[in-house]
Amino acid sequence: MRIRDLVWETGSALDANRGRSLLTVLGIVIGIAAVIAMTALIGGVKQSLVGELGLNQARMVDFFAWPEREVTLDDLKNLEERMPEYECLTATSYANGEVKSETKTFSGTIMGVLPNYERVMGVKMTQGSFIKDHDQDSVALVAVLDQGAVKQLYGSPDEQVVGRTISISNVSYSVVGVSESTSYMGNGGTVYLPFSTCASRLTGDWGIGSINGLAREDADMSTIAETTMQTLADYFQMSEDQAKEDVYAYTMQSVIDELETTMASFQLLMTAVASISLVVGGIGIMNMMLTNVTERIREIGLRKALGARSSDITKQFLLESVCLCLAGGFIGVVLGYLGSFALTGVAGSMMELGATSAPLRPMIDVKSVAMVTGICILIGVLFGYYPARRAARLDPVESLHYQ
Amino acid sequence: MPAVIDIRGVHRIYESAAGYTHALKGVTLRVERGEFLCVMGPSGSGKSTLMNTLGCLDTPTSGTYRLEGVDVSTLTDDELAELRATRLGFVFQSYNLLPRATVLRNVMLPLVYSDCPVSQREQLARKALASVSLPEQYFDHRSNELSGGQMQRVAIARALVNDPAVILADEPTGNLDTATGNMVLRTFRRLRDEGKTIVLITHDAEVADWADRTVHIRDGRLLTDEQERALQAAHPGTRSAT
Repeated sequence: MRIRDLVWETGSALDANRGRSLLTVLGIVIGIAAVIAMTALIGGVKQSLVGELGLNQARMVDFFAWPEREVTLDDLKNLEERMPEYECLTATSYANGEVKSETKTFSGTIMGVLPNYERVMGVKMTQGSFIKDHDQDSVALVAVLDQGAVKQLYGSPDEQVVGRTISISNVSYSVVGVSESTSYMGNGGTVYLPFSTCASRLTGDWGIGSINGLAREDADMSTIAETTMQTLADYFQMSEDQAKEDVYAYTMQSVIDELETTMASFQLLMTAVASISLVVGGIGIMNMMLTNVTERIREIGLRKALGARSSDITKQFLLESVCLCLAGGFIGVVLGYLGSFALTGVAGSMMELGATSAPLRPMIDVKSVAMVTGICILIGVLFGYYPARRAARLDPVESLHYQ
Repeated sequence: MPAVIDIRGVHRIYESAAGYTHALKGVTLRVERGEFLCVMGPSGSGKSTLMNTLGCLDTPTSGTYRLEGVDVSTLTDDELAELRATRLGFVFQSYNLLPRATVLRNVMLPLVYSDCPVSQREQLARKALASVSLPEQYFDHRSNELSGGQMQRVAIARALVNDPAVILADEPTGNLDTATGNMVLRTFRRLRDEGKTIVLITHDAEVADWADRTVHIRDGRLLTDEQERALQAAHPGTRSAT
């Protein structure tokens, strides 16, 4: 029996029972739809969070020390030499104040940053550009707003604001760029000024508030926090007890790990639900195939009389159940993706990612479709085997005279 | 050249819930090439068992069966299947066509199992249908749209399509009226004239008249015509003509 014949037989057999076949595969459809919806949703959530954290976030280390004296930009330069595991370090200072546009006022976070802050933190610009070296060197009166701040000052986060003027404590700054908001920084709105400008115009203080480092790609992220804290303690000549109190280093790796763990347990739960549905669906397939065999006993007897080997009959019924499952899988994939769009709508609003952050989109990938195809073939073979063997073992004489 | 069918001392004993059934009791039969043989007997005489044995659907409990010189008791299940696909043609009382498939598809069914190249199948099927005189306009009809006589001719074409050594027909006219039945029997006669070997099983004496030779089976034993006549003389009315 050739493959072409098998396919023809299968097609005509399934075609003959279209309505019943459709009902039978419902269990498979639901199981597969659940699998697809979940993988698409989880993929979407992951992508949206990773996008929000920025590409460099996994390599970012947030650290600082509070020795008896002030930490300055000179210390930063020295630390950079002592910490070869970092590509670069950047310093930040913080200030508070009322930020005013032509019409509105808000009090948000004001940060004095070095130009390499953009690179270390993976800041994404939506308009204009970030603070440059010459801004820092010339203590320029320029500001970069994040979308949250733009929303507060101009009503909409998409307002074109490059070139406009804002004022902080009666000093005017011209806006040179807008960056994407990140949930890391909060959605309240942030204004970035050159470090030098912030120190001389707002705080009058050249001390550093925090340090962020971008680790080298080959750096060991699991131990970097430990070594960084050790280096800080050594550099500032702090005692062990003092270091315990006044030195910290924090990596995003732990946040990402935590996220992965949450996702994994969610995935496990959904896999369990989907598996149950698929097993129930598989039993449905087996039931239908057994009915099929009983209904077609005479046909099986005839085929054997005409020269079909037992293996030909097995193949015919196995392919039929595999095709049933694949058809169910196909419908399930389509429904699953449609469902995942609806689910992401609900999940997106539940997570309240904020008006300014990227919308949650289900992630559709070839890998899960390939996985579903594999699962369907497996179920088809697993639950089709017994009915197929039963058909193949029928005695031709008895089945030819079966009424 | 060996006889097409050569069975010697064949016994067939069934085991069932009711006990043992001795269906064939030492049957010996030779069928030569080109012969149209009729096996006649009342129901329960063992003729169906004989038919199944000849068709390699059932294996004898003892005795030998040589089909074209090959001892079938030495063959495996798959080899028997191949034998059925290539050397045997079956015609059943109830036609046993696939109702939803076209006439051509039905006739091509044995070719599916005999590894015949796809390109040759339709040609062979058309040839077989032509030799049972089915008009070409019916070839693409579904088989359940045909009359009984047409269906039986399709079934004969299906039995012919592999050019088998022997065509086994089990009560082929049982479901047909006399006129249609005669048409089917004429078809068998013509096939015999073309050199085909045919074994037909019936309980109908009129059907048996179409054959070259008739053997009688009664209680699992074959009788010659003379023995049958002697039996008839002793117990008139036991001949089961209907």
